[in-house]
Amino acid sequence: MKNVAIVTLKGIFRDRIFHGILVNVAFFVLIPSIATLSMRQVTELSLTLSLSLVSFILLLLSIFLGGTLLWKDIERRYTYSVLGLPLTRGRYLLGKFAGTAIFTLFVSIVLGVATYLVVSWVSIIYPPERAILWGNLTVCILFEALKYILVIAVAFLFSSVSTSFFLPVFGTISIFLAGNVTQQVYEYIHSASGSALSPLVCQVAVGLYYILPNFSAFDLKVNAIYGIPISLSGTLLTFVYFVLYAAIVLGLAVLVLSRREMR
Amino acid sequence: MNRTIIILVLSFVSYISILGAFSRYMASRPIAEKLGYVPSVEVVKAVSADQKELVSAFFVTKVLLYFGGLLEKQQNELPIPPDYPAMSRMIHGAVQLDPYNMDAYYFAQSILVWDVGKVEIANELLDYGMRFRAWDWYLPYFAGFNHAYFLKDYAGAARYYEQAGRLSGSDLLKNLAGRYLQESGKTDMALAYLYAMEKGEKNPAIKKSFRTRMMAFQEVRHIEIARDHYRQTIGRLPATVEVLIQEGYLRTPPVDPYGGHFYLELDGRVATTSKFAFVSTKSVGKKNKVQGAH
Repeated sequence: MKNVAIVTLKGIFRDRIFHGILVNVAFFVLIPSIATLSMRQVTELSLTLSLSLVSFILLLLSIFLGGTLLWKDIERRYTYSVLGLPLTRGRYLLGKFAGTAIFTLFVSIVLGVATYLVVSWVSIIYPPERAILWGNLTVCILFEALKYILVIAVAFLFSSVSTSFFLPVFGTISIFLAGNVTQQVYEYIHSASGSALSPLVCQVAVGLYYILPNFSAFDLKVNAIYGIPISLSGTLLTFVYFVLYAAIVLGLAVLVLSRREMR
Repeated sequence: MNRTIIILVLSFVSYISILGAFSRYMASRPIAEKLGYVPSVEVVKAVSADQKELVSAFFVTKVLLYFGGLLEKQQNELPIPPDYPAMSRMIHGAVQLDPYNMDAYYFAQSILVWDVGKVEIANELLDYGMRFRAWDWYLPYFAGFNHAYFLKDYAGAARYYEQAGRLSGSDLLKNLAGRYLQESGKTDMALAYLYAMEKGEKNPAIKKSFRTRMMAFQEVRHIEIARDHYRQTIGRLPATVEVLIQEGYLRTPPVDPYGGHFYLELDGRVATTSKFAFVSTKSVGKKNKVQGAH
């Protein structure tokens, strides 16, 4: 499994998709000048733009790498040679996932450093009224990485089922969008306005809330941008949620791939 | 191959030939059209996924660029009414996406209050913002000013100024508020506020907006001084501003930078036909109340 992870990691660095997405890093250079459009919160806007860019790059990587890595191996029949080795399909999938997850963490660290540099530079020129909490920024970027690792896990689950890249890519995009809105829907149906909805709609919404990944839990951008304290217990709980949810999704993916007929 | 090159060259030449007309069309499009349409905030929230803060910043920047472009383009004469309701909708959308976005509150206070006269809507926004930006003394400071100057609710103003003083760690605001309310007239109070705002502003469009208003209020102050001088000397209020000029109480005719004419109300209050705005404002619907606050 370790070897699969290492090979996956090396493969990603040579992947054209990665090279294409890497071009977006150049936008970091523009952030200090765009941030000056703000009237009263230049540093906060630079943080908003930097974190959005980090999030966007990680989203592209997780969807396109997560959604195509496994599918490409199956499509190009690389899996036959790999699975001919004394390696179970489950370990193969987990190895690929581990390689992609480590890569995501690595990219997050690099993008995090770029964010630190940009925001430090802007804050020297336009000192913010409220001190930047660098710890919050670090936790925020870490949780962004965890969120996109979870997205990769979802993409792997779709890849284990699908024979083309459409389901892994578009299915993951749909789950990502839905997973970002479930909390909002859940709160709405439990508010006074939600009482007008039919009980069936409410039950379906609550069901989806528990089934779909809750990505909004990983979003700590507001805490990083405006220096709002982060709840320690909340982050620990979110981390446990991440571990358990990823375990379930990967478990399902292993189960499906193990039973899949490959021709 | 040759045919491809010919088609390519023809396309390129045609493209160059329409560029002028295209640019002119884009420049002549109604400005309100350029601000665009804001879809339902709930839809934007769902679609923006984890980029709500970015979309909020985008909304505010769009309004700011629209308003700045309008000021620059029309050189302070606005034949096309600014689309204030659309601006208000965008600002409200922005704070619902990111309730911490200070630029949105600041823009609302700078433009919605002065140019549109929607003080209640601005105060609602400020109250909403105070629930999130609990550390920020600017929001209660703005609200205090609105209550004192526009609504003449001095008790409410004192409460907000006290809050601003507590948050800023200085009694200065409380003292200033007291002094303005007791010793100075309304115009002095507005001038002092505008001066402080203009000094701390770096955005050229907003700075210009403050300067124009200060110029107008300075003219009002000159007329007020001349009016009081006339009343002290003659024993009654002057009938018109022109009387003050003719009888030498005002050296030069006052100029309203908004394009209006100053006149005296029956009670002697100085007013202008422009109502201190470039154009008459459209109504900003009640729909713009911060839904997220309820």
